[in-house]
Amino acid sequence: MIKAVGDMIKNESDTSLFLVDIGVWAFRDILRDYPDRAMNIGIFEDGMISLAAGMSLGGIIPTVYGISPFIVNRAMEQLKLDFAYQNLQGNFITTGASYDFSTLGYSHYCPEDIGTISMLPGFEFIAPGTASEFSKLFSETRRDGNPTYYRLSDHVNKTETDVEFGKAAVIKTGSKATVIAVSTTLDMVLEACKDIDVSILYYTTLLPFDRQTLSEHYNGGKILLCEPHYEGTLAYEIYKTFEDMPVQLSGVGVKREILRKYGTKAENDVYSGLTAGNVSSALCKLLK
Amino acid sequence: MCKSLKTLRTRLLEISHLGRDGNLQSCFSSLEILYAHYHGVMNWSPEIAKSPERDYFILSKGQSSLALSAVLEERGLFREDELNAFCKFGSRFSMQLDRTKFPEGGIENSAGSLGHGFPMAVGLANAMKIKSCKNRVYVLAGDGEMNEGTMWEACAFASGHKLDNLTLIIDDNDSIGRMLDLSPLKAKLEAFGFSVYDADGHDVENLQNVLNECKNIAGKPQAVIAHTVRGYGSKTLMSDNSWFHRSPNDEELEMLKKEVEVFEESDD
Repeated sequence: MIKAVGDMIKNESDTSLFLVDIGVWAFRDILRDYPDRAMNIGIFEDGMISLAAGMSLGGIIPTVYGISPFIVNRAMEQLKLDFAYQNLQGNFITTGASYDFSTLGYSHYCPEDIGTISMLPGFEFIAPGTASEFSKLFSETRRDGNPTYYRLSDHVNKTETDVEFGKAAVIKTGSKATVIAVSTTLDMVLEACKDIDVSILYYTTLLPFDRQTLSEHYNGGKILLCEPHYEGTLAYEIYKTFEDMPVQLSGVGVKREILRKYGTKAENDVYSGLTAGNVSSALCKLLK
Repeated sequence: MCKSLKTLRTRLLEISHLGRDGNLQSCFSSLEILYAHYHGVMNWSPEIAKSPERDYFILSKGQSSLALSAVLEERGLFREDELNAFCKFGSRFSMQLDRTKFPEGGIENSAGSLGHGFPMAVGLANAMKIKSCKNRVYVLAGDGEMNEGTMWEACAFASGHKLDNLTLIIDDNDSIGRMLDLSPLKAKLEAFGFSVYDADGHDVENLQNVLNECKNIAGKPQAVIAHTVRGYGSKTLMSDNSWFHRSPNDEELEMLKKEVEVFEESDD
């Protein structure tokens, strides 16, 4: 991410980078070499997002980097009114995902980011599963004229996939059910679905959701949705894909509750059932 | 008050009547400020409304949207009588303007929620600096809007980045008097690094002079505290605060039009 964003600032004079006082050390060279366009703007996310919208209005494409809840929650009205409503271009790269900062508590968690952003028509939402997937998707979308949210996690897939903006990757074709692996859940899904006759679709673009590819993998309407954010968030997309068809939908995802457990990210995954074992159990139940 | 400003006020009353909605007190309060910007201050005309060379006007206090629409109509930006559709279903014009409905330019931002327009203007001014453009950015805020924290965040950025291409005009109609008292506003803005001026917000010539003087300031953003009266130009609107959000019925329309017609500066 540092390299992709750094290269953008170096090579494109109509781009800018705002840090919300995080990533300052990692971006130190860019901050030093391009002080007019790359800046540690300080800790005022709401005003800063409006400011970024003004930059966009003036023809300088803003990229903002911050911790997910402080962009999504604190600056929600600015994302809604200054970017979505005014149809302005901007990139919002966040770190922290659902609970990467597990020991910092609920203030630093954001399992609701996709649910929240999905209520802003026109926003794109990208959740890459690896660093190289981010680079590819960032290069495809960062100048596409739309506001785009990038959900980054420190806990990435070991599996690299050839991804494309707006398209689900078909990892495997089967006949008994379709498993949707969203972003960083891919490794877990692959392990759980080993030797099982199911289709696996890998989604890194969540908005706009690729309904076409899903519609081509109906598989009797048995769908297992594996999400690294609040469970069931993408159920609306399943419903819209198979509007007139019967669907048996099951899923695993982050429990819809205020998360108060602390510990490690892995422990929180186990708590929510985001494990290969749990995916396997859910799949067995679905296939019965 | 010059004839064209009385004509504009009458027009505002008529549109509000047709659309059955209005923030007439705010619109009357900021009318001279808006008029001054589009007459003898900004590099702007309908012909260059989309040109990269134009000066930008950002409306942060969205309650004055109708007044801005009327001034732009007077400048010839809109098709004749289009504004009569104010607030009708499918209209381009509403209580708060939507930038995306004006591909011909003129409406630079979508207003509505306070505390957004000014930081956007700061970002816009910063973009102009990055691009080494000479455009100036003007932004109209309300004194009550200065309660919003984002306004002061934006002030800090504007002075920290020496945005001398930015002028903040505050329509100071004492809205703040009934809420959190931020006085003295001037001292606070100066402490935030602005070059601050006072102006009579209902004296077009005074406003033009002050705004043009701002163009000479180097290294600092400027703020003009324009002292105004809510509902200025109609005795009823100046004295009855129910007119903050209300439209005139048939009878009230005629009464208010007469008040505007006979209004003298000494009435305030």
